[in-house]
Amino acid sequence: MDFKFLVDTFFVALSGVPIALIITIISLLIALPLGFMLALTRINKIPVLQRFAQVYVSFIRGTPVIVQIFIVYSSVPLLLTSLFEKYHIDKNVYDINPIWYAFIVFSINTTAIMIEIFRSAIGTVSKGQLEAAYSVGLTNVQAFRRIIIPQVLVTALPNICTATVNLIKATSLGYAMSLQEITLRAKVAANVGYNYVEAYLDIFLVYLILCSLVEYVFKRYEKRLSKYKTAHA
Amino acid sequence: MLEIKNIHKSFGPNEILKGVDLKIEKGDVVVILGPSGSGKTTLLRCINFLEKADQGHANFGDIDVNLNTATKKQIHTIRQKTAFVFQNYNLFHNKTALENVTEGLIIGRKIPKAEANEMGKKALDKVGLSEKYDAYPSELSGGQQQRVGIARAVVLNPDIILFDEPTSALDPELVGEVLSVMKNIAKEGTTMLVVTHEMSFAKDVANKVVFMDGGVIVEEGPPKEIFSKPKEERTKQFLHRVLPEDYIFYI
Amino acid sequence: MEKYFNASYIWESFPMLLPYVKVTFLVAGLSVLFGTILGFILAAMKLGSSRIARKIANGYITALRCTPSIVLLFLVYYGLPAIAENFGLLFDNVDKLVFIVITFSLQFAAAMAEVIRSAYQSIDKGQFEAAVSVGLSDFQAYRRIIFPQAFVVALPNFGNSLLELIKEGSLAYTIGLIDVMGKASLIIDGRFNAHALETYIALSVIYWVISIIIEQVFLKLEKIFSKGKQVIKTT
Ligand SMILES: Nc1ncnc2c1ncn2[C@@H]1O[C@H](COP(=O)(O)OP(=O)(O)OP(=O)(O)O)[C@@H](O)[C@H]1O
Ligand SMILES: [Mg+2]
Repeated sequence: MDFKFLVDTFFVALSGVPIALIITIISLLIALPLGFMLALTRINKIPVLQRFAQVYVSFIRGTPVIVQIFIVYSSVPLLLTSLFEKYHIDKNVYDINPIWYAFIVFSINTTAIMIEIFRSAIGTVSKGQLEAAYSVGLTNVQAFRRIIIPQVLVTALPNICTATVNLIKATSLGYAMSLQEITLRAKVAANVGYNYVEAYLDIFLVYLILCSLVEYVFKRYEKRLSKYKTAHA
Repeated sequence: MLEIKNIHKSFGPNEILKGVDLKIEKGDVVVILGPSGSGKTTLLRCINFLEKADQGHANFGDIDVNLNTATKKQIHTIRQKTAFVFQNYNLFHNKTALENVTEGLIIGRKIPKAEANEMGKKALDKVGLSEKYDAYPSELSGGQQQRVGIARAVVLNPDIILFDEPTSALDPELVGEVLSVMKNIAKEGTTMLVVTHEMSFAKDVANKVVFMDGGVIVEEGPPKEIFSKPKEERTKQFLHRVLPEDYIFYI
Repeated sequence: MEKYFNASYIWESFPMLLPYVKVTFLVAGLSVLFGTILGFILAAMKLGSSRIARKIANGYITALRCTPSIVLLFLVYYGLPAIAENFGLLFDNVDKLVFIVITFSLQFAAAMAEVIRSAYQSIDKGQFEAAVSVGLSDFQAYRRIIFPQAFVVALPNFGNSLLELIKEGSLAYTIGLIDVMGKASLIIDGRFNAHALETYIALSVIYWVISIIIEQVFLKLEKIFSKGKQVIKTT
């Protein structure tokens, strides 16, 4: 065991954290509202959209993330190349920063997960809550914003936490898109002297710390949001 | 003040309301009686558009709406003029007692928060919950929750409050506190349409009792008449079942 | 890389890929077997009265929940031989499959521990008490009353964990296993990276179909077992 390498590489791995977090946050920002709206189409049985959401969720949940990554990573350049040629845009698709592919893949993937999470969470809020909101004169939008969504969020939060942790873990597959995230950085450092055990220990530690922190933050937030549930004087 | 004409409502093949007419004057306390499944809840829900009637009209003094084809705007206007007290309270789980009461004022009516809070506190005081402004529904007993539900309706100062069996989910010892709150607001001249199985409330507080069965109004009149000399056979049978016999003679 | 899309490559890929579904199932099957055993042990530690055992089980589950499969895979692949070396053992000739099965058994165990624990805790204490009160031994009470009920509760979660396992198992190609995923990479290499998209589409369809079948099977199983529950109730 090379301890100096172990310590040095820990910081190399750590330097990949911002990229992992940026991808996670952007994907969540896209997936949360989109997933919520698509969940509503399923609950309200909106004809075409609900069917689309159903197949979409089934496909994403039924295939490995790595395969989804490969599909996006090999199809988007094909699409773009033909687009660029058509409109005579002088740009090479291979100059595109791989982080854009990561945004696309992980947003598509996380949206599907969110649809399922919100679908079951919305199901737990009783119809009476909506009716009571109408009865005191709130509009549909007001009722959702003030009464339904806050309650849905609380029930969904533990699952959103799990999804977030899984998302962070999934960014480790960014190597397939040459993304300079945690795993790839440490692995490259290890290539020099074949210190793979040390490198993967470091990577392991970084994910452990990162995910534990995320879980902790969610737990705190959940406690604050759900004080109405547990509050007992 | 409120006149309802010819409401029809079916769920699938079952016609639940078969043409109900009802007239309520300002300050009236109207109690609807009837066996389970006779369509009492459905009637109230249709009036508040929680259920869409297949046919029927409602006339609220100045406005007349078709219960089947009402526009979103009309529905919103009617809901602003009415309030609903639910059998299972339906307090907003994520709001305190006071927030429950002020929600409709601040968001629905755009009343400034400070003013709404004053009104909300007064309403909660009126139902005897001065100590519980900041309690969440999960911290309140059933009776207390229903009193918040009533305060939430009263504070809106609606033309009419619709009550759907407000005490039937309560333990017997908690029924009294809710009924006495309802009596008090009735005394203040609030117009009320109440579905209940509490015969004492119908007898003491109502000025009109409506007996429903099988989706139609079988008989209506002042409580004295309905209870002591019902005309219709079905009414007699129903009262016979729900009231101890000597009670009828006693009246 | 070729710059056009040709659907015939999708059809061509299926017969090449399908034989390797066996390997995918082999990895999953072995991991389920060993993972479930370890999962039971972990669940027992979590539910038991020993505080140290509980801490260890909790720590293990948290650590595995936070570790990406690919990181665990390489940690096992490089780390295990290194540890073995310290004991004078040589792992050079060990099949890759062993490391892969160890990795996914460790991971599946963490998931199963939670599935088992929550299923066990969902069963009303009164069930055990009632069983003992009619004269069953503790063991009999578990075997005849608690386990069958907990099994029904655990079934859908077990199904989900199995699906996750099969999908995560696709990463085994990174250390050179030739399962469906590994075969797909080989095909693509063989075509000098041309028509990768078509191959991946075929691959995704195979995974999708496997997932749907497993999902349906578990829905059926759930129905069968909860039906049994109702029959018992009414008779
Ligand atoms: N959403 C619905 N879908 C289908 N049927 C319904 C629905 N709501 C009510 N019903 C049916 O309509 C009939 C009348 O119901 P309603 O709730 O109006 O009766 P009720 O007079 O309030 O009875 P109770 O005294 O038991 O509350 C019942 O047979 C009920 O099954
Ligand atoms: Mg009713």
